[in-house]
Amino acid sequence: MQHKLFRFHALAHPLHHMGMVDLLALVLAMVIFVAPVSALRFQERSLYMNSTVPGETTSYTVSFRYMSPVAVGSVDMLFCVDPIPYHPCVTPPGLDVSNAVLSGQSGETGYTANIQSANHIVLTRIPSVITATDPSSYKFDNIVNPTDTTTSFSIRLRSHASTDATGPQIDFGSVKGQVTQGIVIETQVPPMLIFCVAEQVNDNCDGTNNNYYTDMGQLDPDSTLTAQSQMAVGTNASGGFAITANGTPPAAGTNVIDSPTAPTESTPGANQFGINLVANNSPTVGNDPEGIWTNAVTSPDYGVPNRYKFVSGDVVAYSPNVSLMKKFTVSYILNSRSDIRPGVYSTTITYIASGRF
Amino acid sequence: MKRFTSIVSAAFAVVIAAAYVVIPAQPVSAQSSAALSIVPKKNYVIEPGKSVKDKLTIRNLDNQKTLDLTLRVVDFTFTDDGGTPKLFLAEDAPQTTWSLKPFLTIPKNVKIPPKESKTVDMSVAIPAGHGAGSYYSAIVYSSGAPDGGNVGLNASGVTLVFANIPGKVNEDLKLEKFGAYNVTKKEYTFIATEEPQDIAYTLKNNGNVTEAPVGSITLNGWFGSPITISNVNPNESLALIGQSRTYTTCIKLKEAEVDFNGQKTKSTKCTSPGLFPGYYSAKLDLFYGQNGNRTQEIIGSASFWYLPWWFIILMIFIIAILAYVIWRVYSWVRIKLYGPQYKKRSSRRR
Repeated sequence: MQHKLFRFHALAHPLHHMGMVDLLALVLAMVIFVAPVSALRFQERSLYMNSTVPGETTSYTVSFRYMSPVAVGSVDMLFCVDPIPYHPCVTPPGLDVSNAVLSGQSGETGYTANIQSANHIVLTRIPSVITATDPSSYKFDNIVNPTDTTTSFSIRLRSHASTDATGPQIDFGSVKGQVTQGIVIETQVPPMLIFCVAEQVNDNCDGTNNNYYTDMGQLDPDSTLTAQSQMAVGTNASGGFAITANGTPPAAGTNVIDSPTAPTESTPGANQFGINLVANNSPTVGNDPEGIWTNAVTSPDYGVPNRYKFVSGDVVAYSPNVSLMKKFTVSYILNSRSDIRPGVYSTTITYIASGRF
Repeated sequence: MKRFTSIVSAAFAVVIAAAYVVIPAQPVSAQSSAALSIVPKKNYVIEPGKSVKDKLTIRNLDNQKTLDLTLRVVDFTFTDDGGTPKLFLAEDAPQTTWSLKPFLTIPKNVKIPPKESKTVDMSVAIPAGHGAGSYYSAIVYSSGAPDGGNVGLNASGVTLVFANIPGKVNEDLKLEKFGAYNVTKKEYTFIATEEPQDIAYTLKNNGNVTEAPVGSITLNGWFGSPITISNVNPNESLALIGQSRTYTTCIKLKEAEVDFNGQKTKSTKCTSPGLFPGYYSAKLDLFYGQNGNRTQEIIGSASFWYLPWWFIILMIFIIAILAYVIWRVYSWVRIKLYGPQYKKRSSRRR
């Protein structure tokens, strides 16, 4: 057995080295000599839509600079929602290029338009070598704009040596366009942002107790004054919403009860005003957000039980997306030192609900 | 005189005593409703020398009180790398370079009876010869402030108004970050012990126009077929001028149609993409460009490891078993090669 192993080792050792060297040489040869010629991207690509009104018949000017100085016989133009050339093409809703007319061309010229379908044009000519160094432009009339203003669309471009846009592509690239609202907008069904604030509010903002202030009582260095208010919010806007709390900490003249700028425990005997949006037990105040919709959440700094903070302008709750109605309960705590200056300490907190961009 | 002095002293004592407490607030006089419905965002494309006339629909949701709103236009910018506006609410706030204030006309006050809605006129007029670019401001609807209380409440709504003036603009987006993203912690992760549900990319907008890029992300792992996210900005979210905007996109999206205030609305949220543990590479392909301007492309790549704890423990276990097996084989081969004396020599050395 031992003898056999020695013989196997003696035989395999040089072969092992030879195999590695050969393999390495083969890989290098493949990389250097067999690597396919990759297509280049058209440069300085652009699309000019003479009108961006949805569904309107208008003209498009497509411009790009050819990168490969080889013979080109056709340019393929495919109108899709997605610009990525190897993704399935979905025709932009409402778009129609079936009556398009090539009304102008500059740079590389000599093309005629061959309409393939409602979203496909092939420019064709007798194959000739690219000589233009500046961008070439092609203007098409009688194109019907897409109708969906919520998403952009693209024209996927490819050049070919053949005259019918078949065979290997030479250069490629996409241009992006988008229809927008018209110059004059008279009616539309816009997204909504629903928002209400009071001491108590209904889940759908269809009623409140119409009380917009809170008396917190007498300051006492040995105990914490508490209060709570509610707000409900919801939106069908895809960007969601954000609520900020704005105002100053309670003040009496120039005397201010400061607020912690980081989530902090309630500390009786110290000057402290803070809020949060969750249920607390130290002291017992507030409720967790109500509503099954999980998109709307409290901001991390205002969502820690028994930790309070107030910085004017901070986002206290938000949703990154559509959110059905959600109710938040805001807890307020107020602590004071024994030597606090006498006075009526008060503040107004303005909750601002906005859409997101 | 003595009596007068004692009266003044008593009154002073009462005032001092009262001053050491927070005086309970008096009942509040009738205040406006603080329940409203507004339009969160408006977008326009307006050529220089032209104007847009539009309507703002405001609804009073309260069933008892009149909604008494004060309207004003303020500028805003970004709060962070998300989509929350930072409003410049101060009356003396300086006007931003992208302000729409000079061009935006709205009424100053609106009164809406309970449970009714009102449509008010607004217009945006761009002077002739004005340069191309993006301009934006916000309309703030403020309900009246309460008259008393230690903590008064006030509700305001905001409509963000964006106007693009077409023409040759300066567009410049730079890719700053790209990779797996933890939405809760708001950070990119290279090694994730929890299954990543989001991929994100951060773009810095150095141009003079807001941008909403489109494109796709392709995710390749050791196992399974590639995952393609074909719309990486489904909400048409904007990178404001000067902003580093982080766009998060779900690896797997769950769509649901929900009823919002009587209207059907499509809602989306991320769901588990069912990733296998291991190494993942991601490729980003983005396009952006305003009408008539160059369509520009951003390409990026990133990678991350998804290593859940159970997988790490399993790997340690497997490596330990493999190490043990290799050691046993190695020992067996050495014994076979050099004979049993190797084992004895090893034992003597020990």
